[in-house]
Order: sequence, then C-alpha cells, then structure tokens
Amino acid sequence: MGKVISIHSSRGGTGKTVIAVNLAMILLKRGFNITLLDLDFRAPSLFNIFREGIKKPVGYWLNDFFNNRCKIDQVLIDISESCNADKKNLVGLANPSIYAIGDMMSKSQRWEASALDKLYFLRRLLLNDMKIDYLIYDTSPGIQYSSINAITSSDWPIVVATADPLDIECTAKMLSEFYDIFKKKTLILMNKVFPETNPPHEEKELINQLKETLSHPIIGMIPCYCDVLRAKRDYLLSIKNPTHPFIQKLKEIAEKLVKY
Amino acid sequence: MKIDSLIKSNEEILGVQREILRILSKSNETTYPKEAIVALDTMTLLKLPNSLRETALALYKLGEATAEDLATETGRKRGIESAYANQLTRTGYLKKKRVGRKVVFYIKKSHAER
Repeated sequence: MGKVISIHSSRGGTGKTVIAVNLAMILLKRGFNITLLDLDFRAPSLFNIFREGIKKPVGYWLNDFFNNRCKIDQVLIDISESCNADKKNLVGLANPSIYAIGDMMSKSQRWEASALDKLYFLRRLLLNDMKIDYLIYDTSPGIQYSSINAITSSDWPIVVATADPLDIECTAKMLSEFYDIFKKKTLILMNKVFPETNPPHEEKELINQLKETLSHPIIGMIPCYCDVLRAKRDYLLSIKNPTHPFIQKLKEIAEKLVKY
Repeated sequence: MKIDSLIKSNEEILGVQREILRILSKSNETTYPKEAIVALDTMTLLKLPNSLRETALALYKLGEATAEDLATETGRKRGIESAYANQLTRTGYLKKKRVGRKVVFYIKKSHAER
C-alpha cells in the first residue's frame, strides 16, 4: 500500500519545492511509482520546473480538477520518459496564471470541503487503483486551506524548517495547534542549517535541542549549500547533478522514509 | 347585525393569526435536512471533539463505510463508531443510506469518474 507524503513549512523560502521535486526523483530512481502534485495554488512552481520535460501544452490543471471542470487523468502528465525512468512518474500541475491564483484564493468553506473530499478520492485512486507507491504533495506554507487539506489527507507530513529561531517558533506552534490535533506522524526536515564544515557533535547537539523544542522526530539535517541557492530555476539537481551533497543528504532521507 | 359582523370579522382575524402562528411554528422547527448540508472542511474537522473527528477522518479515507468498516479503520468498537457516525449524521455532516441490511455512511457522492 502506497503512502502520501506532504511537504509543508510554517513559512515560505524553506526549500519545500526543491526538496519535494528531488525527493520524488530519488524515489523514482529507487524503483517506485511516483506522483507529484503541486498543491501550492498561491505560488505554483512545478510547471516552471518541469516545463522542459512536458511535450504537449498543458490542457488541464489541478485547479480544473478541483473546480469540477475535468477528470484527473486529463490533468496528470506522465514525465517518466523525460526522466529516463521505467516506473510511473506523474505530475499534476497548478495553474500559474494570476487569474487562476486569484480564483483559488476566494473559495467558500463548502468548496474547500469538496476539495478535501477530492484529495481523499485522489488518494484512493492513485494508491489503490493506479498502484502509486508515493504520492507527494508540494504545499503552500503556513495554515491555509490548500495546505491543511493536503496535510489532513497525507500519511506522513514532512515539515521543512530552517534554523532561524522565528521559523522554529512558528513551526512548534503549528505542530502543537494543528498537526498534533490530527495525530499525524509528522517528521521534521531541517534545511539550510549550518555549513558543511561544522563538527558532527554540534549537529547532534542541535538535533537534541530541536527534538525537545518541536517534540517530533528529525528525519534529516541538510546544510546550506550556496550553489543550490544559486541554481535559480535548475531545481532538478538529482538528475543534473546526482552526486551533489544536497542530493546525497536527500537520498539518506529517502532511505529512512522507505524503511519508516 | 352589527354584533354578527363584528364576530365574523373577529373570527377572520383569529383565522389569520392562527395561520401566521402555524407558519411561524413550522419555520422554528429544528428539523435536520434530508441531505447533509453542513460542510465538513478541515477547519470544521479541527473544531470537532477528538472522538468524532477520528470517525469523520476514517470516513474520508474510506469514501463510504459501515460502522464495522469504521471500527476496523479506527481500532475502536463497532457500536462506538455507529454512535459517532449517527451523531455526525444528525448534525448534518454525514449522510447515510441503506444497502441491503447494512447502513452505509458517506460524506458526499463519491467521485466515480476520474
């Protein structure tokens, strides 16, 4: 039975998207069927990342599926070939147009309830019928409907946090006031932490401090790599530079998830 | 003659009053709608008591389910799940239907189409 992983954070700029995309690629190369959905309707970015690998113009977006304008198989794009993968690699893109973003910001409570129902429908369809091993959601930061719907319908939410004390504080609050109420097996991924040169004992000390503050297991610590930040739109590091230490760290995290 | 006409008018006024009271009493009746009309969105789920939230989330996961299916999902007893699911149905969050001898709970029509 497959699992749903949501990649979330309390604030923007923590590296959710680069982690979601590369984690999906690593799990794909590891031999799993993957589906990656862009549920960050306020700042969609997967379209720009996968633009090169998509051969036909996008006919329908995830926005259309949630607005009852199309069926999900009209939205999901198979990019296995462009990733040289034998396994299924499907992506569902959010519409990056300003009108679509505006439309998704003004939805009613009833619409959001229907969106949650549709996410659970997708979960059943992809995991049970289409035999997807990992369904990964890239979400909006903070507490807003698109992200909390994603978290509610996921098995393993991963919260990406940086070492910024403000971020840690916001993350701790979000965990206790939302995640814990839904009894989620939440994992914390620290990103952009300290430089690679720092001694390992300092890392252990920080992990212990974070475990105490956040009361959730830390699945990994990724140092801040300037070249990842400088890569701009070149997010697919796992394909273009698979030996990069950032990807090596993510591979360790992927292995932990597989055994989780 | 004047008295008769006054009595008649009074009866007509009383009739109108009764009709007004009948309409008012109907509108004040606390009947639950046949169809569930209350949106069970994530923020509403957050506000539910833990016990009911667990049942609602199990039902979201399963799509539609009997009390027994819910019990398998949550690990609680069938009778407890039946009570919670019926409570959620009475408040308008869920719907239920009879399939043969079984009562099946659901949140809304499942999306049979892709």
